[in-house]
Formats: sequence, structure tokens, C-alpha cells
Amino acid sequence: MLMSQLRTVTIYIVLATGTLAALTLALGTAWGFLSLVIIAVLVASLVYLALKAEGARIELAELHRLRAAYDQLDEQAKLIIRTDLELHRSQEELDRRLVSLMSLHRLGRHLQVSLRPEEVFSKLDGATVMNFGFSKGLLGMCASLEDLRAMDWRSLIRFTEPEANQIKAHLVDSGLLKQILSRPAPAMLQAVSTIDQAQRKLLELLGVPMAVVAGVIPHTGPVGCLLLGAERVGSDTETKVDEELVSILTNQLAVAVENSALYEKTWTTQQELERKVQERTRELEKANDELVRLNKAKSDFVSAVSHELRTPLAAIKGYAALLGSGQFGALAKPQGERIAKIEKHSDLLGQLINNLLDIARIESGRVTMERRPIPVKEFVATIEDVVHPQMDAKHLRYVVDVDGITQLVGDSQHLQRVFVNLLSNAIKYTPERGTIRLTLTQEASSVLASVTDTGCGIAPEELPKLFQEFYRANDPVNQQIRGTGLGLALVKRIVEAHHGRISVESQKGKGSTFSVSLPAE
Amino acid sequence: MPEAITATVGWSERSEALLAGKEAAESALRKLSSLKPKLAIVFGSSWFNQPQLLQGIRSVLGQLPLVGQSTAGEIVSRGPISHSCVVLLIASDVLTCSVGLGERVDRAPREAGQQAAYAAVRQFRGGARVGCLLFGEGLVTSYADVVRGIQEILGTSFLIAGGMAGDDLQFAQTYQYFNHRVLSQAVVGVLLGGSIQMGVGIEHGFAPISRPRRITRAHANILYELDQQPAASVYEEYFGPDVVQRMRTDGSTRQGIAYPLGIQPETTDYWLLRNVVSFGEDGSLSCSGEILEGSWLQLMIGNKKLALEAASKAAQQAMQSLNRVGCVLVFDSATRRKLLGFEHAAREIACIREAVGPSTPLVGCYTYGEQAPCSNTTAHERMAVQTGSVLVVALGT
Repeated sequence: MLMSQLRTVTIYIVLATGTLAALTLALGTAWGFLSLVIIAVLVASLVYLALKAEGARIELAELHRLRAAYDQLDEQAKLIIRTDLELHRSQEELDRRLVSLMSLHRLGRHLQVSLRPEEVFSKLDGATVMNFGFSKGLLGMCASLEDLRAMDWRSLIRFTEPEANQIKAHLVDSGLLKQILSRPAPAMLQAVSTIDQAQRKLLELLGVPMAVVAGVIPHTGPVGCLLLGAERVGSDTETKVDEELVSILTNQLAVAVENSALYEKTWTTQQELERKVQERTRELEKANDELVRLNKAKSDFVSAVSHELRTPLAAIKGYAALLGSGQFGALAKPQGERIAKIEKHSDLLGQLINNLLDIARIESGRVTMERRPIPVKEFVATIEDVVHPQMDAKHLRYVVDVDGITQLVGDSQHLQRVFVNLLSNAIKYTPERGTIRLTLTQEASSVLASVTDTGCGIAPEELPKLFQEFYRANDPVNQQIRGTGLGLALVKRIVEAHHGRISVESQKGKGSTFSVSLPAE
Repeated sequence: MPEAITATVGWSERSEALLAGKEAAESALRKLSSLKPKLAIVFGSSWFNQPQLLQGIRSVLGQLPLVGQSTAGEIVSRGPISHSCVVLLIASDVLTCSVGLGERVDRAPREAGQQAAYAAVRQFRGGARVGCLLFGEGLVTSYADVVRGIQEILGTSFLIAGGMAGDDLQFAQTYQYFNHRVLSQAVVGVLLGGSIQMGVGIEHGFAPISRPRRITRAHANILYELDQQPAASVYEEYFGPDVVQRMRTDGSTRQGIAYPLGIQPETTDYWLLRNVVSFGEDGSLSCSGEILEGSWLQLMIGNKKLALEAASKAAQQAMQSLNRVGCVLVFDSATRRKLLGFEHAAREIACIREAVGPSTPLVGCYTYGEQAPCSNTTAHERMAVQTGSVLVVALGT
């Protein structure tokens, strides 16, 4: 700028000097005209140069403006950089938080599958520590607050065993561990600001200028101690965020410890329950085996005794028949009556023994049921032949409905005993002029045969015991009707030996229905 | 018919170094099926115990030639990952390769470069030499000398590309892997040749923002004066005294790496980027690469859009000379990861993947410097190492 001004002044001086010289020349010589021309040229030059100088001045002013704008732009660039720097810092912080939260999420998923509290303490890994902005980490587990020396490091991130043991000794000896485990909030230790000697020593042992220490304190289960060390000290905001994140982390660990402790407890209980169930099952199996053995012994005994009873019974019956026939002389009327009673009771006893023997045989598996087609028509007719006299005696109405079923499958003789037995019972308990109904119904893969009467019925509490051996309903009607208490037990054994089922439905005073379901094939 | 170059990638994010190395190597080897690998390239987080990491890898790969380095983050097809180990295995009948190591780059960078190149050349058997992949110490400021040393052996126009090791932005120590050794202050080179092609693309996408200033005094990587003013004062002018003061006291220039210095040599219109590594007591700035006195310097700023465009462009450049691509290596500046942030860093890799093909095996790492010839400048002999760039190296036929 200074140079430009100097140049302009010089031009003006040269022009002024030229003009003065020209005027002097014009006045002093006869070359007046020529001098005037020179003066004119000089004046024109002067005007031109003045105009030129003005242009230069305007350009200079423009240059000044441009320079100012340029400087303004540079200032704006500074502002942009500083704003951008702030944005970068925010983005970096957000990224760090995002990565930390993702790490927390990932760790959370890993912790969820921890089945034992001990596992939780070994789940802290290097990636999580790094993503939290730390470079080193230690996580220890202590089964009880009573014995802190028993604390065991479970996760060592960039620490060796001896280093970790040294840190543990310091934590215990200085009382820092007790402090850490007595409050859930994390504590930030910084070499530059910490005045506590124990904390300074801890930082030295950790080999970092900054560390966060926090307790993992669940409501139940073992407690823990978390130490995270960073190589550089962050800003206040970063430090605050670190504390928050560590707090979330320790809470997450504590919850995982509680959950796993609960799971472990549930698991242990379940295992104990399972063990008890197995033990009880074994006991029951043993008892059942014993029962089976005893039942077999009973059957064998009954079988043996029955056999032994049959021979003398046959002799008694034979001799009673001889006495009754009068071969040994005519009998007085009372004598004849007594002998008739002997014969009658002997028959009953014989029937009882036969039933007992049959039950024993079926239970022992010595009797095999034949599986042959049985024409229903003949089968029903045979049964009717047997029970018809009794029905007639009581003027009972007998209705048979076979529903188009033409055959049964099984052992004809044994099945006849089943239905004769059921019909005989029905006859016994049905008052005169009542109705007895035998119906057959086809079911999916079986035939259901039912004997229904209009008799006195059975009390509900008696029904479950009805098929037990020697059981007779405690009923005034039943007291008057003679029976061994083995008929229905035998029927049940025969039906089950056919892989069938027997059931009863009854209503007191209205009658009963005994249903036998037999496989159709 | 097998591919001319078959490459497989395995990686592990386990925290135990030995297991991570083993898992990554096993995964890559399994995918290679019955093919026999010729070369392993490894990128590992500096967070790992390095010898254990390499021990894990070697336990699987045996005596296979192995090169690699620690990183400021690893890259696989799905995007950037951290605290992991990545193994690339290359099998090929048409590839010839040899590896070389140069040590003490901090003391004698040029000699280290020569040493690495010479060792590789001596072992190279058969076929034409195509290019050299370079892995080196990331905290050294005289990397251009290393490259010069290599060029003295391989020729000034020989294609050399690679990245400088990182250490997760700790700026404390970086590592280089050479066969069974873990080293620092070293340079590792792989000489590639045979009937293969090596495509390279490098871009940055940063734009100048500050007023241009003349570099009035500089030596090697030290920038003393800009417009005859102490260089640090100019830096302070833009970042503000608080930030610079924090950088000085922390000894960390992490905040500044998102704004590299752009140097424009007289004869070019291309910006070479440099990071400020540290502040000198005399107001000088120590930079990540050589500073050319007399050049113009401007502070650079990036944005996500330009950065993503640059990544696509670099990938396209790398693919130009190839008919068939076997694998792709990405050396991406740690600066860019910081600039792009969590979400866009993943998009950047997606852009590259899109350009090279989704099924192409892709590995890479975030680096402290990228080295490749810049097509737009004639000064690449001197200034071929820079920061803030994304370098894509494609190997194929």
C-alpha cells in the first residue's frame, strides 16, 4: 500500500516538474506553439494519470475489502473447526457410550445363562473392559463378608496371577476391600487427586493413573469386587459416564449373581426332589415286588390248601350222600334234614374252593385264555339255558339286545362263567317281576357287554371294593343272600385275562349295570 | 477349476490372546479346504499379549510365511471390529512371494527399508516382481526414509503400498509380525510377483478449510514455521488455546487427528495429509511424515459424505487394472474411523465391499499412516506416505 502511494506521488512530481519546465520553455523561447502542444500533452497525461490513480485507489479499496472478507472467512473457519471439534468430541463420547452399552447388552446375555454364581464372576472379558474405555480389569468373588481373605479373583484382564495376588493382599490389609464391599456405588481413584495413601498404593499396583473400584453386592449369594484401570485420565464428563456405566455393570453382575443363586437353589431343590422321587420309586418297586411275591405265595397257599380241602370234602359229600340214600338204614326226618344240610353246605364249600382255585390259577398265569371267535347267538342261548330256571322262579323279564353283533372273541367257557355269574347276581338281587337286560354294543375296537338289573342297587362307597376277594356289601339285603364273595373277583380276573375291563354303575334302589369291555379281535 | 488366487479370512474376538490367534487361524485354514496357503497376513489388536497371539496363530499355521501388524482396529467384510485378530490366508499357483524384515526404523529408517527389501528380493524365486506390501512401525516419523530405502533396492517406480501399525489410539507402542517374531520399530515387506496383478487406490476426501500458509521453515518431519510464525501458534489459532494446552499436557494429539495438515507441493493440486504427532518446546510441530519446505499448508477438514465417496473411489481405482480379484486389503486411517464414527465407519467398509464385490475376501486394519503412490502427484517419491487416507489394495489377475 505504501509503495503504491509513493509511486503516485512520484508520478505527480514528475508531471509537475514537466509542466513547469514546459512553461519556462514557452515563455523563454520563440517556440511558443510547440510549447503549448507540449503543455497540452502534459496536461492530458496528467489527467490520464490522475484517472489511473483513482482507479488504482478503488482497486486498492476493493482489495482491502476482499482481504477483510478473506480474514472473516478464516475466522469462520476457526469457528467451524472448534464447533466441529466439539461435535467430534460429542460423537466420540456417544460412540463410546454406544459401544459400552452394546457391551453391557452382550455381557447381560452371557450372564443370563450363568447357572452358578461362580460363573458370573468369570464372565468379565477383555472386550467389555476395553469397550468401557478401560485397559485392565479384575473381578473377584468372596463367598462371605466374614472372610475377605478368601476372596478369589475370577476374571483377570491384563493382570498376571502374582500381580493380582499382590493387589488382593493390599486390598485386604489396607481395609479397602471392606470399604468397597460396604457400598454399592463405584469410586473413582485418580493419581493426581487421591490423597489417601492406600488408594495411591492401589493405583501403583494396578499400574494406571485412574481406576474405578466397585462392589458387586447382591441380596443373596457371594459378593464381588470389581477393579477397572485406565491408562489415561478422562474429562469430568467422561469420568461421570464411566462411574455410571460401572454402576450399571455392577448392578447387572449383582442381579446375575442373585438369579444364578436362585437358579442354583431351585436346581438343587429339584435335584433333591428328583433324588427323593427316585428313592421312593425304588422303595415302592421293592414293596410292589414284595407284594407280588406275597400274593403269589398266597395264591400258592390257597391253591395248595384248596387241593388239600377238596379230597376230604369229596369224602364228606360221598358219605353224606350214602347216609342220605338210606343204605345204612332208614333215617329219621330230623336226621334226613341234617344230612341234606351237610350236602348243601358241602356243595357251597366245593364251589368256594373251585372259585379260589380258579382265581389262584389265573393269577399265577397257569390258565391261558383261548382267543377264538364265539358265535353270539349260541353263546347267549347257552347262558340263557343256565339262568332261565332261576329267572322263571322269580318271574323276571329277561331282555337280550345284541345290536347286530354276531361274534365275540375269547375263551367261550370262561366268558360263559363271567356272564352266568353276572346274570346270577342280577337275579339274586332283583325282586320278583323285575327286569334283567343283557345288551351288546360295538365300540371302536371292542365289544361292550352290559348286564343291567332293576334290583336294590349298591351304595356308592361299596362300589370300589366290589371286585375284591371275599368282599360282600354290608347291606341288609345282602345278608339274606348267600354267597362266597369270590364271584365278582373271579369275573374280574377272567375279563382282565382277556385284556378286557369291567366296571359297574349303580344307584341305590334303582338297579345296577355291570359292563364288560372285550377286545373285538 | 481353482481360482488363480484363493483367499480365506478368519477372525476371532476372544479375549485370550492364544485362543484368539488359534481360532482365527483355524477358521481361515478350514475355509481353504485342501488348498495349501502360501502367505498369511495377520492384523491383531495391540490390546492382546502379542507373543501369545502369534503363538496361537503359528500353532495352527506352522512354518507358513507370515506378516502383519498391530492395529487401531481391524476390518473384515462385515465392517470394522475391535480387540480382535484377523488372519488372511492366500493360496495360489500363479503367485510368488517372499518376505523381508528391516529393524530399528527409529534409528536408521533408510537402512531398515533397504534391509527389508533386500531380504525379500534375495528370497524371491521365479516370475516377475509385481509389487510390495508394506507393514511398519506406526509411531515413527521418518517413514518416508523407510520407503526410500526400499525404493533404492526395488526401484523408484516400483509399486509399494501398505499401512503403518496402530495401537488402538494409545500412541504408546505398535507391533509388527514377521514369521514367528513380534517386533517393534520394524518394517516388514512382502514382495509379490508371478502372474498376478496388484491394484492400488488411495483417497482421503478431506478438504482445506484454513487460510493457506507458506511453510517457511521445516526439516524432515518437523514443521518449524508457517509464514515465519511458529507453527504451533498457527495450530493454536484454529483449535483454541485450551485444546492445544490439553494436547501439550496430555502428550496426546488424539483430538487433532481429525484435522490433518494438508500440504500442497508447488507443482501439484493434490493434498498430502500429515498428522501432528507432538508439540516441540520451540513452537514446532512434529508431524507423521515429511514436510516439504516452501510448500503451501492448510488445515484440512473432513465430512462423512466426502469420506465415503473417497472410499468408493479408492476401491474403484484398485479394481481398475484387475480382471479377476482374489482378495482385497484395506489400510484405513485411524483418523477416518474417528471422523466417521461408529455407524459411518461400517458404511465406509460397505462402500468398499460394494465396489470390490460382496463375495471378495476382504480384510484390513486402521493404521497410523498409509503408504501408496499418489497418482495425482509427481512428488510421490518423496511424499508417498500420508495419513487420513483409505488405501485399497486388490490382488488378482
